[in-house]
Amino acid sequence: MAGISDKDIIKKIKNGEIDQYSYIVKKYTTLIYRFIKRKLFKKEETDDLVQNVFISFYKAIEKFDEKRPVKPYIFQIVQNELKMYYRSNKKLVSLDENIYLEDDRLQDIVNDDYLNHLSQEERNIFQQINKGYSYQEIAKQLKKPLNTIKSIVRRARGKLKIDR
Amino acid sequence: MNNIKGIEQKILYKIYKIEVKKTIGQIVSEFTLIILIALSSVFIFSVIVEILNEQASFDLFDFFRDDFDTIRESLLNNSLLFVQELPLPLIYILIGLLLVLIWLLFILFINFNKIKNKLVSFYKFWLK
Repeated sequence: MAGISDKDIIKKIKNGEIDQYSYIVKKYTTLIYRFIKRKLFKKEETDDLVQNVFISFYKAIEKFDEKRPVKPYIFQIVQNELKMYYRSNKKLVSLDENIYLEDDRLQDIVNDDYLNHLSQEERNIFQQINKGYSYQEIAKQLKKPLNTIKSIVRRARGKLKIDR
Repeated sequence: MNNIKGIEQKILYKIYKIEVKKTIGQIVSEFTLIILIALSSVFIFSVIVEILNEQASFDLFDFFRDDFDTIRESLLNNSLLFVQELPLPLIYILIGLLLVLIWLLFILFINFNKIKNKLVSFYKFWLK
C-alpha cells in the first residue's frame, strides 16, 4: 500500500471501501498507543482509549475534509478522549494534593481545578500546550514574542510548583 | 507488538460491526420506503382510474374514433373537460408521492456504488 496517500485512502473510505481503513489503523495505531500509554500508564485503559480514538475518527470520516492532514486530526481526537478520561476520573485527584509534575509531563496538566490557580492568559497557554501546540505556534496564535510565552509558562510553572 | 495487532483487530472488528448495522439499516429503510411509496402510488392511481370510470370521464375521448376534423375540433375542449373532472386532491397526492419516489431512487442511484463497495468490503472481511 506504499505510495498511496492518506488523502486517497480517505477518499476510498468515503466511497464505501471500508477495508481501506485498516491502512489508517495500521499506520497510526503504534504511534497513538505509545502516546496514550505515556499519559495513562495503564494497559487496559490505553487499549480502550486507542479503540475509541479510531472509532471516533471513523465516525467523523464522512465529514472529514481529505485535503486536511490526518495525523493532527487524530491527535485532536486523542486529546478529546484524554480530556474525557481525565474528567471521568477527576474525583480520584484530591484538590489539596501537592502535585509535583516533571518537566516533560507539562502536557498532562488538564485538571481544570488545578488550572484555576493561573491567570486567564496562563490558562490559555497551558490549554494550547495540552492540545499539542508548540511554544512557537502559540506565540504566533497569540501574536506575542516567543520569549514572552516562555516566560509566562515559566511563571505559571512556578505557581503550579513544577520544578524546571 | 502482539498487543498492537490485537488492538488493530479489535478496532477493525468494531468498525465493521458499526458499519454493517448502519448499512443494513440504510438498505432496509430505503427499500421499505421505496416499496411503500410505489405501492401507495399504484393504489391511488387505481382509485383515480376507478373514479374516472364511474364518472364515465374516459368517454370524453371517444372522439378519437371519428375523422380528423372532429378530432381537431374536440381535442382541446374535451381535454379541458377531462381535467375538470379529475379528482384533484388525489392527483396532488399522487404527484407528491411520485416526486418522493423519484428523489429516493435518485439517492439510491447516487449511493449505489458506495453501498456496493461496502458490501464487497463486508464480504472480504467476514470471509477472511
